[in-house]
Amino acid sequence: MRIFFTLVFILLSHSAFATEQAEEIFAQLTPSLYQIKLIDKASGEKSSIGSGFQISPDGIIATNYHVISSYARHPEKYHIEYLDHQGNTAKVSLVSVDVINDLALVKRQVDSAMPYFKLSTSKPIKGEKLFALGNPHDLGMIVVPGTYNGLKKESFNERIHFTGSINSGMSGGPVVNKTEKVVGINVATSGNQIGFLVPHDKLVSLFERYNIQAPADIKLQMAKQLMANQEKLMNALMHSTWQNKELAGKALIPIIDVPFIRCWGDSNTDKTDALIKAAIASCSLDENTYLSSHFFTGSIEIQFRYMQARNLSDNKFYHLYQQQISRASAGNRAGKDDVSEYQCHHDLVIPESTASTEQAINNKSVFCTRAYKDFPELFDVLYLGASIDKNQQALVSHFTLAGVNQENAMAFTRKFMEAVSWK
Amino acid sequence: MEVANEMLDNVNKQALTTSPAVTSDENGQGEIIIEEITRNHKLLHRHRLTKDDVCIGRGYQNDIILSDPHICPEHLSLSFSQGTWHVNDNDSVNGTSLENSAGKQKHIHRQVIHDGDVITLGKSQLRVLFNDHQVAETIAFSPFESLIDIIRHPIAVFISIALFMLIAGNISYLNQLTETNVSQLFVSAFSLSLLFALWPAGVALVSHLTKHDPRIFAQFGISFIFFILLWLSERLETIIAFNSASNSILGLLFSLLPVALAFSLFWLNSYIGFHVSARRRVAIAACITTLLFGGSYLLQYSKKPEFNPHPQYNSAIMAPHFLLAPSNNVDTFIDESNGLFDRASEAAKEE
Repeated sequence: MRIFFTLVFILLSHSAFATEQAEEIFAQLTPSLYQIKLIDKASGEKSSIGSGFQISPDGIIATNYHVISSYARHPEKYHIEYLDHQGNTAKVSLVSVDVINDLALVKRQVDSAMPYFKLSTSKPIKGEKLFALGNPHDLGMIVVPGTYNGLKKESFNERIHFTGSINSGMSGGPVVNKTEKVVGINVATSGNQIGFLVPHDKLVSLFERYNIQAPADIKLQMAKQLMANQEKLMNALMHSTWQNKELAGKALIPIIDVPFIRCWGDSNTDKTDALIKAAIASCSLDENTYLSSHFFTGSIEIQFRYMQARNLSDNKFYHLYQQQISRASAGNRAGKDDVSEYQCHHDLVIPESTASTEQAINNKSVFCTRAYKDFPELFDVLYLGASIDKNQQALVSHFTLAGVNQENAMAFTRKFMEAVSWK
Repeated sequence: MEVANEMLDNVNKQALTTSPAVTSDENGQGEIIIEEITRNHKLLHRHRLTKDDVCIGRGYQNDIILSDPHICPEHLSLSFSQGTWHVNDNDSVNGTSLENSAGKQKHIHRQVIHDGDVITLGKSQLRVLFNDHQVAETIAFSPFESLIDIIRHPIAVFISIALFMLIAGNISYLNQLTETNVSQLFVSAFSLSLLFALWPAGVALVSHLTKHDPRIFAQFGISFIFFILLWLSERLETIIAFNSASNSILGLLFSLLPVALAFSLFWLNSYIGFHVSARRRVAIAACITTLLFGGSYLLQYSKKPEFNPHPQYNSAIMAPHFLLAPSNNVDTFIDESNGLFDRASEAAKEE
């Protein structure tokens, strides 16, 4: 009984301590917390909101890129405003962005040195208690306690896995440890207490680069970052092992052995009335880069589909097969203002790697590409290969890459085409 | 016999200037041919009268009895004297008018009539002809006639419809996503044939309504043969698309084949069903073809979104036995695809 009481006491005191700690942190840090608002110039009303926090005495405020993305893409249509804890608002200017890590720096006018958030110098440890700050759904500034759970597994661009509620509107808010040092920035949520943060070191390096030299043009800065990121990603893909894997025991397909590309499988072997037996393997990069609400880039999709006719004439099999391949489309969302329309080329191709062997495959190959309007030399590409050499069997190999340059796109296409064959 | 009417019309005008308005048989008695015609100058009835006085009206005592309620019982009379026919209106309520190359005249009172003149009384029209009226030259059978004779044979019509049904059945078989059901195939083939039969039936109906010989078997035979040819041309187009790379012009050439076939079909439809001049027939066929293809193009064009986020590529694939062209290697494919990047960049800069 005594043990029970002791336990209850300890628990109570612990939660009381945590509450007290949260209150204290909130009270101390509030003056450096802001709501960031994007104001539509024509209507004078806010078009999006997020959170932000001051990281220097002279008025540099960190937030998410996606909070101010509309301004970065169309500076003539919007302006950015902050709202502080006393209800003051004023305009801020965008000074630097990191689109890959979804970070942005804006600058407010200050008359005298102000209190600001200190950035941590070390990573948190797994299980450490953290406090996320922000203004969810425009309901007012809040503090949310949660736990650090390491970096998100299998991610290409690192994200912290934070167990705690992060809601929209809190984007761009800081996450601090109990010594009030910033260890991450709220960025996304998967619901049910799963939140994602940008690690603080990304902000540290963005801020350092800004201090050395502020970028002259935000669009140019974004273009450079996108170009560098695709170079890094495509390099990683091209220099990893491409494992030859069997699909349905009939075809050989390449599976790129990198942790950030994840594969899933499906088949219809349970459907006895299906006219075509199909086995599908699809792999993709789970993350993408947000450029604006209708424009994402940086995604990769790879899909293989093996099909076997069941009591069908060759003609009917190919007729149904054609319907399967006639509607390939982009892996990323992009609109008229962002990209050109697709340009396509098709031909019959036998890859040389297996030509004149048993494994040789004869494909109808289609390659399409569209160019980015604001970021020169970046393209979305799409490839579709449909085997046309077996009467009752077919293999579709397909991929889409978003935001790559010509050289990388073609190197990837060449390697991919040569890697697909019959078994 | 009615079919040559239009030709007659054309010749009438020439006849007016050449033939005298005098006609009589050997006994010196007048002979006149009076045609009841529609407002479009199509023949309804033809009367040949051998007498000097001809009475026309609603009354039953007349030589020519017209039932038009706007015509008086004794409306007008024609009389032959001294080698000339005269027309006289008997003070009718609605009057009579005479139309010839000189123009239209009202208030007819002992007017001389000529070969080819048209008399309007009430809402009816009569054309007056004399027995020396010049007729148009005989039209010789064109080589098409013998072909059409074969096509309109009931067995040929039956075979072409059966063949069409077979194709329609095959198309629905290819599109069926579940196990094949023969009765379903038959029903869809039959209903598709019925739908396509509307075209020749419609053409035949129109030619019947315009007082032409409907020649329904010939219309059916020729239409179904062309439907089959159109299907074949589409098949051919797919084979070419499947066997050629995107930069081939052969595909473009073959996409014009259906247009040519449709034009030929409409030309033959009009040849069989209507007696019009060759130039007019070409114009009619060209008009319907333009309407059909231009209309469907316009429809497609109007539905085309301002920006298409989906790639438009040729996805034609066919079973390996249709594969005729040799395949390229990856290098060639990559080389040719490289050109797309410049084109895409150009397109991105355009706006």
